[in-house]
Amino acid sequence: MASKFRGVMQSPVTPLKDDFSLDLLTFERLLDFHVRTGATAISWPHHKGESLNLTIPERKRFAEAAVRVVNGRIPVTIHVSALAVEDTMELARHAQEIGADGILAITPYFWTPSLEAIHAYFVRLCRSIELPVLSYNSPSYLAGVEITGDLMSRLIDELPNFAGVKEASFNSEKFLEISRAALAKRPDFAMLTGVEYLLPSVPLGGVGSYSAAGSICPNLCSQLFDACIAGDWPRARELQAKVSWLWLLFRDQYPSSLKGGMVMMGRPVGPTRAPLPTATKERQAYVYNELGRLGILDTEPHGW
Amino acid sequence: MSPFRTGLVHTPVTPFTRERRIDYDRYGELIEFHIVNGADALALPMHAGESVSLPDAERRALLEFAIKRVNGRKPVIAHVSETGTGIAAALARHAEAAGATAIVATTPYYWTPPPAMVLEHFVEIGAAVTIPMLVYNAPEEMQGTRVTADLCRKLIGRLPNFVGVVDLSLDWQFMIELMTDAPRLRDGFQLLAGTELLVSPAAIGATGLFAPLAGITPRLVRALYEMCRDQKLFEARMAQEELAALRQALKPAGVAGIKAAMRAMGRDCGELRPPLLPLDPAAYQRLVGELDAIRALREEPRGW
Repeated sequence: MASKFRGVMQSPVTPLKDDFSLDLLTFERLLDFHVRTGATAISWPHHKGESLNLTIPERKRFAEAAVRVVNGRIPVTIHVSALAVEDTMELARHAQEIGADGILAITPYFWTPSLEAIHAYFVRLCRSIELPVLSYNSPSYLAGVEITGDLMSRLIDELPNFAGVKEASFNSEKFLEISRAALAKRPDFAMLTGVEYLLPSVPLGGVGSYSAAGSICPNLCSQLFDACIAGDWPRARELQAKVSWLWLLFRDQYPSSLKGGMVMMGRPVGPTRAPLPTATKERQAYVYNELGRLGILDTEPHGW
Repeated sequence: MSPFRTGLVHTPVTPFTRERRIDYDRYGELIEFHIVNGADALALPMHAGESVSLPDAERRALLEFAIKRVNGRKPVIAHVSETGTGIAAALARHAEAAGATAIVATTPYYWTPPPAMVLEHFVEIGAAVTIPMLVYNAPEEMQGTRVTADLCRKLIGRLPNFVGVVDLSLDWQFMIELMTDAPRLRDGFQLLAGTELLVSPAAIGATGLFAPLAGITPRLVRALYEMCRDQKLFEARMAQEELAALRQALKPAGVAGIKAAMRAMGRDCGELRPPLLPLDPAAYQRLVGELDAIRALREEPRGW
């Protein structure tokens, strides 16, 4: 059976009011926007959703809202990575209680854990719940800490709910090391990438990605995935080039620039919590010009 | 300048006798093997050919020997990387005079120069010749010094004979950025994969391959190359996974691994030059065991 975690899955940003408190009403609108514009799943709160700048009670509150608003239309996964592993465990239990469809968890932050420590972490997490667990490999942000192909195979052997990986190395060798190990053991293991790197990953067995720019250009995301799955490589190249240019645009002060861009698309979601900056008017204008240059303003929805 | 399409480029090792002199008899035999086993062109001496262990006069003699032996049957690309820009430029001039079809150069060894210095280094080498120049991007081998898309844009402006990049960064964002810009600025600009991880680069637009494993598995490398050339990317996945497995098995031992595997395939290319050390007998047996587990190797030619 194919994994239910496939296609371009949207991870909403976290809307904030001017006083930096959570803006529930706008979050509900944003979730609905993603569902209506072709998201194949919702996952919240990624780093892009300022996960680590939110308190644990805030994360629970919005996780509940996500499950309630999406209301079974597409799968909802909860990103449970937290500085303290004990918080991760609690967020995972909570995700199961509120009826989420799965969780996503990165290798532990800060400690640069050994492979054995990463193994113990995922074993404990997966055995604490029945939901599918998606792992998250991001060596460039975590001092080189990464899941090896051997560790992947071990975890798949031991854990029936170890269901996939968000592979964020963006590198052919690492993707292949993991995909070879994982797909040989579990053919429906979800090989996913971060950002929308679909063109280089789909021919290697990738089934989808999370999205950086989906709140700006949902149509472009869906078109890129469709072109890749259809093997229409010339079209996929053209679309991937556009998406990658957007990534360069938003990667700078991510997700502040993205929130700034959303203002220009008629979907304002408020400021960004410190230490991240909030996009200035000048930055917003620059983003607006770039979106115009790429034709995004003509082809993507404006407003909610 | 008429476009020079490299296609599948084999990168022969350099055979050494027991006394660690270049074994020209064996080298001649090896060149024949590559020519009749699928090479569209040869590049030599690359790092797999222990280029950095060859003093200047030997390196020139080796290139002259190879060009004479190939005798116009295939293009020969001369590897002219050096630490000092002037030394590399002199090697480039020699390569053109000796009849090389093109040159390839890395960023300078050791200095880890900033982008402006890398640019001037390449400009001086490229300006020393009229034959096409490829730039080799291998940040992992060069202590993090990398070729960026921006550097390539500038190089195109400065060098009429800069025709492409051989990529060993394996970095998807770099390749996508490069292939979005460079072909618009220079007709026929080429991206070549710097190792047998070709499916993702081919999806992005790579048309060539530098193949250090071609002396071990020429049939599989040719099959992967042709499927990618024909944009049969889903079909190429199995061959890609086999070659990724081979690369992973050989990578820790570097050139010693390649020479050991060639010996295991009945094509002994002799010693390594110091400081490289051969595999000890136990490590060699382990490697032979790992190679036996790779099914595709059973279809490959044994001996010369």
